Amino acid sequence: MRLKSLWEAWNSFFFAPQSPTPIALFRIVYGMLVVATLLLLRPDWLTWYGAHGWVSLSTMHALEPGARLNLFAVIPQTDTWINALFWMFLGSAILLTIGFLTRLNSLLVFLCLTSIHQRNLYILHGGDTFLRVAGFFLIFAPAGAALSVDRLIRIWRGKEGANIEPRSPWAQRMIQFELAIMYFSAFCLKVKGAPWLQGTAMYYVYHLDEFKRFPIPSWFLHPVMLKLESWSALVLEFSLGILIWVKELRYTILTLGLLFHFCLEYSLNIPLFQWDVLSAYILFVDANDLKRATNWAGRLCRRGSKKSD
Amino acid sequence: MRMAKYIAINAFLIFHILAITCWCLPIDSPLISLCKDRVRPYFLWSGLFQSWDMFSPIPKSANTYVEATVVYKNESRTTWTFPRMEQLSLTERCFKERYRKFAENLSRDEDDALLPDAARHIARLNSTPSHPARTIILVQEWSFIVPRADGSYVPEPWNQHVLYGYGVKPEDLQ
Repeated sequence: MRLKSLWEAWNSFFFAPQSPTPIALFRIVYGMLVVATLLLLRPDWLTWYGAHGWVSLSTMHALEPGARLNLFAVIPQTDTWINALFWMFLGSAILLTIGFLTRLNSLLVFLCLTSIHQRNLYILHGGDTFLRVAGFFLIFAPAGAALSVDRLIRIWRGKEGANIEPRSPWAQRMIQFELAIMYFSAFCLKVKGAPWLQGTAMYYVYHLDEFKRFPIPSWFLHPVMLKLESWSALVLEFSLGILIWVKELRYTILTLGLLFHFCLEYSLNIPLFQWDVLSAYILFVDANDLKRATNWAGRLCRRGSKKSD
Repeated sequence: MRMAKYIAINAFLIFHILAITCWCLPIDSPLISLCKDRVRPYFLWSGLFQSWDMFSPIPKSANTYVEATVVYKNESRTTWTFPRMEQLSLTERCFKERYRKFAENLSRDEDDALLPDAARHIARLNSTPSHPARTIILVQEWSFIVPRADGSYVPEPWNQHVLYGYGVKPEDLQ
């Protein structure tokens, strides 16, 4: 491979204009997930983040020293201010979902999200982390270029036509990269552990009472099945980290990943984790295929409504 | 201007791809360690720090929960338990899952500094002006998960160890 062709491939991957519909759809799902996270936290906003919460701001500083992007460090530590921050965060997440002042709201959502994480790092799961790192790159993406109030306003003002302008996808690529490295990193860490290689890891996972959600069929717990499940998790995480970049394999791997996460959603109680991760699958779907899927769903809905008439 | 923007974006991309890769990949190499050390302040500041070690390298091999013995000024005692997911309804589990994670972190040696704050909070939850808590004893209970050849599961007996004891001060209850 020549250096020039490598540079061309880099340019094409990060800068060749493409439809902003996938990133816009991701923005909607992302916004909804942030709203859902905040609503699930709602009864405990002050319990976890308040002046008299489980962990004080000073303990947090002592445990996690260094400069941090954290709005809690600059606002007065009173329940009123902390509640106000959360309501502002919630409002901003709703505006991001509908795509109003998209760039500003993606920045505000990231700032608030990283602040609540920095304020209490001891209650987070992987899904929260994924939302945070994806949110960082979403700030730079043309997430309001489609499916947004911003676009409707631009059309109304005559600044845009009916066609959606293709945009440079470099920020979208970084979120895709984050998803892939998340899986590959999880794979690398798992292969360091004997239970994963021996195929007994899932036995432990299924018997952790604190994670149990719905009952698992007994044949799923047979030693042979447990081996298959443990090794399948390794194969899938490797595939979702590396092979997902091969266009011909992408949809097959995404479908398997979808099934994998649905199984986890059924069996494990980690609220929103699977959905946080699955949200970024949208970014791997080609805009034309997305359009075809939307048209098909639209036709299906219309047919359904005609039948009910 | 467009060229400057193009160069800046490329620098941003190259830096972040390399930095995130070094941060995430568990490779023991002096170069990777050096890279991690260099980007650590920026990653911690910006919120780009990340770890994907759920159930790895070794999944947790014991069921655990944390409870607190609250000793009152009048010598009476009560036990307060962190919400246990297995005892909650499906809906409650969605709202209270953060407690599971927090209790898990409380039991880790490296997060010992959380224990005084947790003890103070439990003291506040369990005190009234006329019936104040005097001592909080945080206890971790655990039961090992032992794999059997036929895949069956028999719960092991519960064990316990004291995580921390805290003498409550009057100002803790303010």
